[in-house]
Amino acid sequence: MIRHSFQKKNIFIRLPFSADFLTLAMAFADKGARGFGYGDRETGGLVLAIEELFSFYERESTKGSTVEIEMEDQGYRLVLSLFFCLADPDMRAFNLTWNVNHDSQESLEMLGPMIAARTLSSLRLEFGADEKVILRLTRNREYSMAERVALPPSGNTSTLRLLNPSRDDLYHFASMAATYGSPFLPPFLARPEMAADMLESGHLNALLVAGDDWIMGGVLWKPLTDSCLELYGPYLFIDNPDDEAMTLLMDEAVKCISRSWFKGLVRRQGALAGHERFFDFLGEIQLSGKNDVNATYYYRQLKEESSGVVYCTGNLAIFLDEQYRRLCLPRQIRTASNLRLRNASVLAVELENARSLAVMRPLCAGKDLDTNIRAHLDLLHGQGIENFIVELDTGRSEDVAFADALEKNSFLPRLLIPDAGLGDLVIYDHCKLNAQS
Amino acid sequence: MNLDALIPDYVRNFQAYHPSRPDHILQLEYGVPFLNRLNNNENPLGPPPAAARVIAAFTPDRASLYPNGDSYDLRQALGDRIGIAPDRFLVGNGSCDVIASVIKAFCQLGDNIITADKTFAVYEWVAEFSGIEARLVPLLGYTFDPQAILDRIDDRTKIIFVCNPNNPTGSYWKRQVLVDFLEKAGNNLIVVVDEAYREYVEDPEYPDSIDLMKRFPNLVTFRTFSKMYALAGLRVGYLAGNDDVVEVVRQTSVAYSVNVQAQQAALAAISDDHEHIIATRTMVRMAKSFMLAICDNLALDTVSGEGNYMMIKVPINDMMMYRRLMKRGMMVRTMTGFRFPGWIRITLREKSVMELFAEALQKEIKSIQSTGRTW
Repeated sequence: MIRHSFQKKNIFIRLPFSADFLTLAMAFADKGARGFGYGDRETGGLVLAIEELFSFYERESTKGSTVEIEMEDQGYRLVLSLFFCLADPDMRAFNLTWNVNHDSQESLEMLGPMIAARTLSSLRLEFGADEKVILRLTRNREYSMAERVALPPSGNTSTLRLLNPSRDDLYHFASMAATYGSPFLPPFLARPEMAADMLESGHLNALLVAGDDWIMGGVLWKPLTDSCLELYGPYLFIDNPDDEAMTLLMDEAVKCISRSWFKGLVRRQGALAGHERFFDFLGEIQLSGKNDVNATYYYRQLKEESSGVVYCTGNLAIFLDEQYRRLCLPRQIRTASNLRLRNASVLAVELENARSLAVMRPLCAGKDLDTNIRAHLDLLHGQGIENFIVELDTGRSEDVAFADALEKNSFLPRLLIPDAGLGDLVIYDHCKLNAQS
Repeated sequence: MNLDALIPDYVRNFQAYHPSRPDHILQLEYGVPFLNRLNNNENPLGPPPAAARVIAAFTPDRASLYPNGDSYDLRQALGDRIGIAPDRFLVGNGSCDVIASVIKAFCQLGDNIITADKTFAVYEWVAEFSGIEARLVPLLGYTFDPQAILDRIDDRTKIIFVCNPNNPTGSYWKRQVLVDFLEKAGNNLIVVVDEAYREYVEDPEYPDSIDLMKRFPNLVTFRTFSKMYALAGLRVGYLAGNDDVVEVVRQTSVAYSVNVQAQQAALAAISDDHEHIIATRTMVRMAKSFMLAICDNLALDTVSGEGNYMMIKVPINDMMMYRRLMKRGMMVRTMTGFRFPGWIRITLREKSVMELFAEALQKEIKSIQSTGRTW
């Protein structure tokens, strides 16, 4: 089976980091986005974000420094990256909890970054050597939701075959998946055009199973990080008591995936019958709300060895040691030194309203970790969110620094997803005593 | 440099094989003082004595000289041994080398090759990264399905690869099955029979494919010194075919690819293999019988046939079982890449190692069974 793979389409500009070049930076974002075929809404959002961020950090930057801006078209989304050098940049306004105080000039100045963060689909911060800062702004293309389509008639007994989908096949499959419904339908399947664009640009792989003229089901996978793939499905639209469709899909998909350059494969949906043929069980998180749903986490190591060193302390070290032993993963746990904290921490929040879930990810560690986490909990509780998860990447010392503050705020490490970040990903759950791993 | 623009799609889309890290690194990672290798179907008895002596006598000064470019002496010896002209052999740096040469010789974009879905994967890989379609036919039971392969032939089919015995299932076509297949396949394509494990087969009905070349001039045979002859570390394999066929494949082969020591060791190996083959077959037979009883006792399904390997179905995923066994110093092959998820393949080795492996496997299975957990 030939898989689509990612072919980078990008443009790049290097500018003096000064207000004189703001309009050029905005024009770069505008012309670039339009050149890649994006519409007014996506382009406008990015131009606004770059205007605000460029203006704000240009004022903080050293005179004579430069900024590099890269725009990459990933088919279904644009990623605009700003690279510049700045000691201890003020990032407080990226927190969802940030509120502008109209009586404070300092606070008003932070209005720009706050607006920028909220016009984007996602924002990522990276810090490199020599005070290098990378802001990655992502803006998804606008897509319509799926329309209902016909599903295969029940009792269909046709011979099943695997199908390496075309763009049109996947579009139709996504419409079927949305029509069929699932508590674990990812956003790209709810928007068939998005799934098709992702397939075409090599950011999504899929394998379908068909019989006669019907698509009967499918399984999809895409990178979760640079080292880990995530599996979605299988989604089956037929009753197949002998599991033939499931076996066909999973055997071939896992075989294809096992040859990829990724280190691991994760599945974070509901329980999967017969998972032990393919996966290690990582644990389960119970999500309460209107419809109680268990998120079951499975993992498959793809490379025969994936060793590593983890720096951490305290209860996190105990938890990791237990998990590494259980999963027979070769890792060394070493004691971390104290990290020099920034003034302010930043947390990214992804909301899934359907599951009343907030997934929080540390972006940078600061001296206010404890109060910042609490402020996020209070705010989100106030918005009616019932479930809170924090994903902590053992490969980032900034993340590991959050461990103690998380525990102080009643978060407990529940499960470990190997290789799902720069290192392994530890999933913290908020005060759920009935979770198991 | 715009590297992307230089790369053909079929290369960009190909997902390369990643070999394991060296044993000494793995030992450190898994905290074991020694690793018993049951992952690569190597022969622990080592090469036949004459070959071992040649290797031991190799002096550093000979490393400064190029080898003979087309393994002249080895081909002469093979010719004498098998009874065909030396020019009908092409020696390569392991049989993977000759697989690539054959595909390059006969296939161009738009062509296809046919093989089984659950077999040695290099036929499929070389085809894919060369831009050639690999048509994969499901096994029938655990055996190559002759009719299903014939059904997939079209006017762009150039090569059919039959792994006989099949790695990893150990199944094989008997002479009559191969003859019937060759008759039906016709002369307009090449049929490669890969006999990497032929020396392990004791059935008199196992075909001598080189002998069949008189009747089927499109037949090509692959053999190797890596398995029975225990020269895997030197990398030497060969193909045999009719003159016209071999002459074409020679055009796409790289001369000087087989090193001096490999040529000389292989030559010595075939001069002194009788006792070695008997001893190896005995070892494999005993190991298989021992392991079948152990697996039966543990209620584990197995698949085994000819060859120095067998497959075991484990109650957890194969990668997890790999890691659990690595922690006990046992390195096995996971089978998901062969489209057998949940299975491992082990090499059948000497008694002492098989006993250690059996002990490790029993502990793991009992631990899984006693907790009722598959993790």
